[in-house]
Amino acid sequence: MKLRAYAVAALIFLHAPLLILIAFSFNSSRFTVWEGFSLHWYAQAFRDPQLAEGLANSLIIAALSALLSTAIGTLAAYGMWRRGAPVLSGSLYLSLVTPEIVTGVSLLALFQWAFRFLHLQLGLYTVVIAHVAFSIAYVVIVISARLRGYDRTLEEAAMDLGASEWRAFTRVTLPILYPAIAAAGLLALVVSFDDYVITSLVAGVDSETLPMVIYAMARRGVSPVVNAVSAMIVVVLGALILASEKLQKQ
Amino acid sequence: MNRRAFLTASLGAAACSRDRRPRLNVFNWSTYIDPAMLARFEAECGVRIRYGTYESNEEMLAKVMTGNSGWDIVFPTHSRLAPMARNGLLAGLDHARLKSLGNLDAEFQKPAWDAGLRWGVPYMWNATGIAYNRAQVTPPPTGWDALWNPALRGRMTMLDDPEDVIGACLEKLRLPFGSVDERDLAAAKAEAVAQKKLLRAYLNAEVRDQLVSGDVLAAQMWSTTAAQAIHQSGQIGFVYPAEGFPLYCDCAAILRESSRYELAHEFLDFLLRPEVAAANARAAETATANGAARAMLPEDPVLYPPAEIRARGVWPGALPAAAQRYRDRLWTEIKAA
Amino acid sequence: MRRWFLLPARVWMALFFAAPMLIVAAYGFLTRGDYGGIEQPWTGESFTRLADPLYLAILWRSVWIALVSTLLCAVLGFPLALFIARAGRYRNLFLQLVMLPFWTSFLVRTYAWLFILRDTGLVNTVLAKLHLIRAPLPLLYNDGAVLTGLVYNYLPFFVLPAYAALERLDPALLEAAADLGARPGATLRRVVLPLAAPGIAAGSVLVFIPCLGAYLTPDLLGGGKSVMLGNLVQNQFTTARDWPFGSAISLVLMLLCGVLLAGMMRTRVAKELA
Repeated sequence: MKLRAYAVAALIFLHAPLLILIAFSFNSSRFTVWEGFSLHWYAQAFRDPQLAEGLANSLIIAALSALLSTAIGTLAAYGMWRRGAPVLSGSLYLSLVTPEIVTGVSLLALFQWAFRFLHLQLGLYTVVIAHVAFSIAYVVIVISARLRGYDRTLEEAAMDLGASEWRAFTRVTLPILYPAIAAAGLLALVVSFDDYVITSLVAGVDSETLPMVIYAMARRGVSPVVNAVSAMIVVVLGALILASEKLQKQ
Repeated sequence: MNRRAFLTASLGAAACSRDRRPRLNVFNWSTYIDPAMLARFEAECGVRIRYGTYESNEEMLAKVMTGNSGWDIVFPTHSRLAPMARNGLLAGLDHARLKSLGNLDAEFQKPAWDAGLRWGVPYMWNATGIAYNRAQVTPPPTGWDALWNPALRGRMTMLDDPEDVIGACLEKLRLPFGSVDERDLAAAKAEAVAQKKLLRAYLNAEVRDQLVSGDVLAAQMWSTTAAQAIHQSGQIGFVYPAEGFPLYCDCAAILRESSRYELAHEFLDFLLRPEVAAANARAAETATANGAARAMLPEDPVLYPPAEIRARGVWPGALPAAAQRYRDRLWTEIKAA
Repeated sequence: MRRWFLLPARVWMALFFAAPMLIVAAYGFLTRGDYGGIEQPWTGESFTRLADPLYLAILWRSVWIALVSTLLCAVLGFPLALFIARAGRYRNLFLQLVMLPFWTSFLVRTYAWLFILRDTGLVNTVLAKLHLIRAPLPLLYNDGAVLTGLVYNYLPFFVLPAYAALERLDPALLEAAADLGARPGATLRRVVLPLAAPGIAAGSVLVFIPCLGAYLTPDLLGGGKSVMLGNLVQNQFTTARDWPFGSAISLVLMLLCGVLLAGMMRTRVAKELA
């Protein structure tokens, strides 16, 4: 039973820092001595216009990138399930483990090179493009996991009855995949919302995201407002992930 | 509304051109402006200002260098004006549109780095010195060598800025701040590496909180940040090192890529108004280059040191490219040591 | 038909993953403009510059920190994975608990450690209240803080593959070992560990690679006192404005990661996960 005690300790280690952060976001004083319960920092966070704008940008980018990557990723996962695609699969895997700084600077290099001819600038859309690029892999993993236990004969039966490949997909397989698709979408949403390194490199003048605002605040010193914002992020993203997990079980 | 306010407002409204542009993108150092002044400009001219911030010249240059960043106005430090102009990044200033240039302090009317004020309007200036905890650091430091004091091991920081750190090492060795001589620089690097063992970290503005809370006892700091710390806690002192110190002037410049040339000038002219400059200086807690505004502000020996101390300061100029590369490499060596 | 399904993904990855990498590869062979930017002479100078002892030292340091992080993750994560594999009905619950912090923001998690380790942070405040220390312990701005941050962030990356391997372990094998008189310790060493080896290897690679290229953690928790590969790349692309050199480093980093990944893909567990 030493193993259980150890496991509990390890899980506490994993969750304690976030719980501490959340706990102290309610501290009325800005120092680490507990002085009293207060929602003061939350009020301040809600009044900050930069935070509000960062949040709005993050939400827009996350929604767009989740939509795109879920669509592209679902189709790709299905295509790869029917017959393997080693190059695509390898590149998706590579995109997962490439250090974010490398992905970020390479995309920046691409955009700056393209802008010489296109006369465009960095903006919300470049962030969305970047986010979709690294989210597709996550979507493919979730959908592939669901497809692994899926019975191919269902589709074949449909086709025997005269349906085209496309109809067999949309009428038979897709409905079964809906929970997994929703789960993958939520995952893509979370991954996009949360990104800092890549976003900071490819964001433009009016596309500052919430993590970028938080980072700038953290660079100016530890502040309980950051605690409050972080607490809200943890709770919301955590809830989204739990929902995603539930959907994957269906 | 009293008569003076009405006159000011109507003059302000008249100052704005008929040409209504929707937005002006301003990229400035963080906490360097009074948000109320931005709102006032927006109201007077019926435009919207998008205001972004950065923590270092390099951060700004990285975005702006490609000539495609989307910003209209940036605030480079004076030594960056000439290289930026040389690389075609800046649109020159049209003095005919800047009626309030006379408000600048006499020293900044014909500055050494831009005698004709062609490229940038001096905005705020500060210096680098040593901020320290008065209670715990006795006797008070007088020069850069105070930051090499083994008694303060682990409680000192230096700025995360190659120009400031290498410059401080050079000045400690009584060598010129802007030296490009390789032996001088090698000696400075040796000092920096020796000091690193005693340092807690290389931090910029973040160290202010740690100074105020007493975690850090002595820090190389910009006078602006030090003034902010002193306002928060009477325990903090600031000294301009005896060996010499750098002075920096951040200037408002218009980017060549900007398509809002006239509006940008209106904004710069707006910033030159005495009451606006004074409000900004108060909010940023830094020294303003605007002489008329300075008259409205209280005396502050930290931000505006007396003449005999000021005389020890130098305005660093732009370095030749090869020297800059050498210093970049030295900085990597120091950081990796 | 299948081709159409794969097309959007292929196009996107080609345009926004492969092409950028190729551009970076090309930049690695070009020269830095006077004030930044990219200019013509094609040269291998950026790559030969990497052979300089200064940069090799940085590479070595990054490898070292990544190795130590991986080791710590393995030592801390394996017992956890073992526990979860034996948890029966509650397996999924525990897996979710392990993964949950990972899905909340990376920045937030690293910031949490800033909050805990500072001189006026939680650890020092508690220890001071308990009168165990008189002066605050310097827990931040050093390698220890960076390692803590890295291990904390990437522990789940080890636990998941290790768990996947352990879960497949046939309990009958353990019973057989017990029947033959082996004690639990010996069973662990000679039966479980070897069979779980592919999972351990996969988990180690999945931790090592991101730690090698870490940028945010050493930046926030390291106090700017040490340079890892990730910081060096970021520095070259922003402050130093030396894109060719930054590209050369990125390429080398990618090559290292690619080789490690290819090695890992050959293991059985990786094939299961794919």
